[in-house]
Amino acid sequence: MSFRWKHAEAPARAVDHSGERADPASARFSEQLIAMLPKLRRFARGLAGNAAGADDLVQSACERALARAHQFEEGTRFDSWMFRIVQTIWIDQLRAREVRKEDGDVAEERLGTDEPVRRIEARLALSEIRLAVENLPPDQRSTLMLVTVEGLSYKEAAVVAGVPVGTIMSRLARARVALQQQLDAGGGVRRSAKNAEA
Amino acid sequence: MPKHSDEALVAYLDGELDGAERRHVEAWLEADPAVRDRLAALAQSADLVRSAYADIVNEPVPPRLIAAASGAGGAAQAAPQEAEILVLKRQSRTAAALPYRRWQVGLAAAAGLFGVVFGGAGTYFGMGLFNPASPTAETRLAAVAANNSWLDNAAGYYKLTVNAGDNMLIDVPATSDTSEALQKISQSLPQQVRLPDLKPWGLSFRGARLVVVDGRPAAQLVYVTDNKAIGPLTLVIGASKQPDIPRTFERRQDVNLLYWRHQGRAYALAGQSDIGWLWGIANDVAWQLDAI
Repeated sequence: MSFRWKHAEAPARAVDHSGERADPASARFSEQLIAMLPKLRRFARGLAGNAAGADDLVQSACERALARAHQFEEGTRFDSWMFRIVQTIWIDQLRAREVRKEDGDVAEERLGTDEPVRRIEARLALSEIRLAVENLPPDQRSTLMLVTVEGLSYKEAAVVAGVPVGTIMSRLARARVALQQQLDAGGGVRRSAKNAEA
Repeated sequence: MPKHSDEALVAYLDGELDGAERRHVEAWLEADPAVRDRLAALAQSADLVRSAYADIVNEPVPPRLIAAASGAGGAAQAAPQEAEILVLKRQSRTAAALPYRRWQVGLAAAAGLFGVVFGGAGTYFGMGLFNPASPTAETRLAAVAANNSWLDNAAGYYKLTVNAGDNMLIDVPATSDTSEALQKISQSLPQQVRLPDLKPWGLSFRGARLVVVDGRPAAQLVYVTDNKAIGPLTLVIGASKQPDIPRTFERRQDVNLLYWRHQGRAYALAGQSDIGWLWGIANDVAWQLDAI
């Protein structure tokens, strides 16, 4: 499965500010995008690790998707296309942060405004699991979110990530094993989760 | 345990192995209790990850993201109220002029049967002074007030219906024959009402109520589901002589609303599910009712 790109259509704008409906195809595109926002937010939360950063990521992805709507071809999976945009922007952000760290600007990337909230949430078992996910290397984290949480097949995840299926398989296995080890080391996480569910 | 074993077990759990590979893993599982334990642990961690992220899709989507996805940028958050007026007027078109679908039930009877029940609301929604042809400050204020009342009303009726739980007030409960239910409620409304089929969303039609909006009767269709991420939902359908407007999101009284007008009808889908679900369902409703 691969993406095919179209270049013939004009860029989309969904609904203008006067309330008049614009081009119906553009409106449909926006409707698809809005309907997907909950899933995009979840995927982005897995990548970014906090709500504010995740929503910033989704907002940037929406803006990029609308600007490049002409590149999406009907008949291909819209969700995969959007996941790919989110992931691309996130990777760009990670690289930019790495550069800043090398320059000595940002030392503690994880200590943002969410940190006090994060500490409180960390008492909850499910948040501990999210923290364990955040501790995974970026490529494993992204693969885990795409396959295990969002339910993409290995083939679909490979398209999103732009890597062979075998790479998805090995990333996923490493992620799942590392996660299992973290949860075992975390002590009581699974028991707490069970209690929370009970 | 060698690395490739974990890959095989994870792929087995994910249903990604072909027949021969799957049989190989199953034979391996049967022969070695340690592998079975390993498989169980990996399956459990996957379940935990899924549940750790399950609730995020049920969170309300921030308006700034809806604006970004609509291509409206920051301007959408300051959408002018006067462009989104929903003032219900008596429908004047004949039943024959409207398209039919299988769920359609004809009606054109006079309002009033249930007007006694909801008569008190007419005072609250009595915004009859509004005149869109003369955009003075007064009429603009009236328009904004009418719109606010309409949306508050849709949200209020939703809460009233849902908070009643199993005792919810249903004028015409759904029976095994939902068309019969709609025929009954249709007799009390000045405009046609059709019933969107939302079963593909797991929503079943619970019944219909007659409500009063801007002093006019309107239909409130109630849908329920076991899936708390989606329902319950209500759909208010009234008449309007105002220009068409596209589906627009508004949040009132902790209720998410998607409302729009199309060819003399005003619609408001209300629920506490997140906007993503609501938007998809509203699209379906609009498509089924030729209300796009």
